[in-house]
Amino acid sequence: MKKTLFAAALFVATATGAVAPAFAAPVSYKIDPAHTAVAFIVNHVGFSNVIGRFNTVGGDISFDKDAVEKSTVTVTIDTTSVDTNHAKRDDHLRSPDFFNAKEFPKMTFKSTKIEKTGDKTGKLHGDLTMLGVTKPVVLDVTFNKDGVSPASKLETAGFSARGTVKRTEFGMKYGAPAIGDDIQLLIEIEAVKS
Amino acid sequence: MSELLQDPFVQSSVLPLLVGLILVGALHLLRRSLAAAGIAAGFLVVFAMVIGLPALPPPSSMGKLFWASAAGLLIGVVADVAGIRGRVASAVLAVWLAASLLWIALPALDSAAAIVSLVVLLGTAACVAFARGSQTHGDESPTAPAASLLALALAVGGTALIGSSASIAQMALALAASAGGFLLWNWPVERHGWGLSGRVATGIAVLLAAVLALFTQTQAAVLLLALPALFAGHVRRFLPQGDGPVGRAVSSAAVTVVAVLPALVAIGAAFALSGGEASPY
Repeated sequence: MKKTLFAAALFVATATGAVAPAFAAPVSYKIDPAHTAVAFIVNHVGFSNVIGRFNTVGGDISFDKDAVEKSTVTVTIDTTSVDTNHAKRDDHLRSPDFFNAKEFPKMTFKSTKIEKTGDKTGKLHGDLTMLGVTKPVVLDVTFNKDGVSPASKLETAGFSARGTVKRTEFGMKYGAPAIGDDIQLLIEIEAVKS
Repeated sequence: MSELLQDPFVQSSVLPLLVGLILVGALHLLRRSLAAAGIAAGFLVVFAMVIGLPALPPPSSMGKLFWASAAGLLIGVVADVAGIRGRVASAVLAVWLAASLLWIALPALDSAAAIVSLVVLLGTAACVAFARGSQTHGDESPTAPAASLLALALAVGGTALIGSSASIAQMALALAASAGGFLLWNWPVERHGWGLSGRVATGIAVLLAAVLALFTQTQAAVLLLALPALFAGHVRRFLPQGDGPVGRAVSSAAVTVVAVLPALVAIGAAFALSGGEASPY
């Protein structure tokens, strides 16, 4: 009798999720624009490196901490929000010479695969679409932490990513190679549980 | 050599001037009536060398500009070979130019200002298509319309250079230099006609202005100040014209100077509106 009752209780607990399942399900997060930075570094004629950023970034992350390979990332960047701390240069970057923001106001990244390379590191493979051209890129990504943020009191996950893309592969040829072709990407993301 | 060809100054002036001279010269030998086609052909060659051959279908306005220009050149050459002139030629030019402008402008028509810009551009296209060139000795003189083209292209190039698009500046200045090559072939003696091929090249200047006005932050309205250059040929009748070669050479040079003046006014206005600071790049 006691065994039957115990078995029934265990069944009910498992069915209602009171007992943790063997594998965690992916958790949906929404990128927090206030704590997200998508920055780039580009060589300027060999004299120095110009640092810029995109101020309007959004997207979704589905993160499975126990099965990272099942996670997905989708990011949308507003190309009109490019900012290098110089108004005329930013206008030039928005022109057909570079981002052609009037015709291509959005740049997107959609993950295709995640390879775990360490306890908290991995390689994030995805398709970057810029100027109407889609090319595969690979980013070195680090999972920083997750938990309740003491500031917002919300479930938050944080990631860092680094990578390099060749802008000419996307048709952004103006000024290359004097103005660097290799663009270093520095990405810091906080995402809030949806 | 490759470093020299990558120099923006060379790409915008020396290269297109040489290409224009060579192509006009080659057409002069092959079929003199098509010599003016060397201007648009020179522009397309330099575009492909500097910016690259755009994909088909073109994903961007600059790509559409290239292929619309190529189509226009083909139309101009076919029309000149077929001997199409007068109002029919003007109508063909107007249809090509209007269709090209609409194709380029469509993605940018998201505001009243953009629609007004397109209307102004279509009006300019109508002027280019139906304006009559100057008439000397009963033949169609190429100097005035070529000088008008040089002036309009200079205005677009200078305005873009001061504003926010180096590639549009380079291509407009390349068109001006290519027109300069044609003018050198026709000075001090006018050797060629203008035909629809030449008028297509003027249409390309309007297409460049369209990309500048609709897809950049440049104060493209200043280009309206350059429009009087289209009528430089009408000034010719007020200029002293000797029957001798010296008189004709001086007259041609004077028409070119008169055409360029409104372009300089437009460039000056663009500079003044920019706060006196050119775009750094």
